[in-house]
Amino acid sequence: MSRFWGCFFCLSFDQLLEPKPTYSEQELVVLLNEQDNDAFNYLYDHYSGALFTIINQIVPDKDTASDVLQEVFVNIWRKIDTYDETKGRLFTWMLNIARNAAIDKIRSKGYRDNQRNQPIAEGESGGMAMSSNPSVNDVGLKKVLTTLNEEYRKLIDLSYFQGFTHEEIAKMMGIPLGTVKTRIRTAISQLRTMIR
Amino acid sequence: MNIKEYISSGVVESYVLGLLTAQERFEFEQYCEAYPELKAARNAFELAIEKQAMENAVPPPASIKEKVLSAIQQKPASNTSKIINMEPTTRRSSGSRWIAAASIILFLVAGYFAYTYYNQTKELKNSNSELEAKVNRTDSILNKMLEEQKIMSDPNVAVVNLTGTTPAKATANIYWDSTSADVYLVVKNMPQLPSDKQYQLWSIINGPGGQLQPSSMGLFDIGDNKKVMLKMGNVKKADAFAITIENRGNTGGPNLEQLQSMGKTRLQ
Repeated sequence: MSRFWGCFFCLSFDQLLEPKPTYSEQELVVLLNEQDNDAFNYLYDHYSGALFTIINQIVPDKDTASDVLQEVFVNIWRKIDTYDETKGRLFTWMLNIARNAAIDKIRSKGYRDNQRNQPIAEGESGGMAMSSNPSVNDVGLKKVLTTLNEEYRKLIDLSYFQGFTHEEIAKMMGIPLGTVKTRIRTAISQLRTMIR
Repeated sequence: MNIKEYISSGVVESYVLGLLTAQERFEFEQYCEAYPELKAARNAFELAIEKQAMENAVPPPASIKEKVLSAIQQKPASNTSKIINMEPTTRRSSGSRWIAAASIILFLVAGYFAYTYYNQTKELKNSNSELEAKVNRTDSILNKMLEEQKIMSDPNVAVVNLTGTTPAKATANIYWDSTSADVYLVVKNMPQLPSDKQYQLWSIINGPGGQLQPSSMGLFDIGDNKKVMLKMGNVKKADAFAITIENRGNTGGPNLEQLQSMGKTRLQ
């Protein structure tokens, strides 16, 4: 195990731009598949912040977001054998687990009932439900979002941060399904150029 | 497919961010295998997103790690039940009511279908046996026809036309198998006879002194046998065939005054 740590440090100094070198990620996956506790500890320390940010952008309430994060890491631990490295990076896989869990949470009846009992209502700006938390609103993807025009921003918000399907968005906004698809693709292409 | 256009269409980013439908996702994964540049574009965006996320990481409350670590030591089932417990109880009870209602409806629907299928099966069985009987009848007729067809088309079978010798114009055809010596009769136009009379077929040989030598090929009735081929007697040599009207069950010679029709064979 100490060999693994040493290996990680020397590589992370060499490649500061990449948070984790590729083969280290592979090694991490192998160890997680062997249910290695040290590897999982490392995984948590390394990625919990990034995943928490994305969850908190979807689930504004910090305590609920923490619950979701806990659930997400337990799921990562249990489902690591379903991760297929040919389909994408480990982080992408974890990011999608986190996003799906967060969206499931805001859609659950329990969460919505709870929200209704909160004294402070969310922003009324047409379904932008999560824009009430200033601490995470302007970081990461959300920050990049603000540079998009209003319509594109709304489309990404509805599809990515609120998890609505293209069909649902088309109905909601009263525009044809094909248009929703092309506009989301265009908006997302713009995101790419901004992220770099 | 233009892979450059595909890459710049936003599909790469949609894939990484989990915004594609299952179908689109499957397609994208297939293309990734075939086009290394697509895979490279995907990887580049994944790294960009990862970098962005890592730079903006906000540490979660410290207590969470402990909870996670203790949760992963437990059996999966206990965690699942914990998640279920977070749902409000009202939802569960209304859910079970719906399940009860649904299962009753399902039971009724299943009963209705079972009854319908039972009746259908009964009907099908009946019509099936009817059909079977019909097929058997048709089969036996067909076999008979095939047999006749075989005889008629056999090159060794000679046809002898018997033409009417009375105003009644009784006509018939003889099919005479030269190899087996079998004689078949097809009645074409012969009036019905009183019940005490029968037609009789004769084969006739021209004797040495001009003496006609008839021999019986069998008695037959006209009735339901119209248009059907009758198997008559068996004869190797005949110069002519003739049909007379005789008393029912005649055992004597031909009553040539009652000759109805006659035809010469071509063998002479």
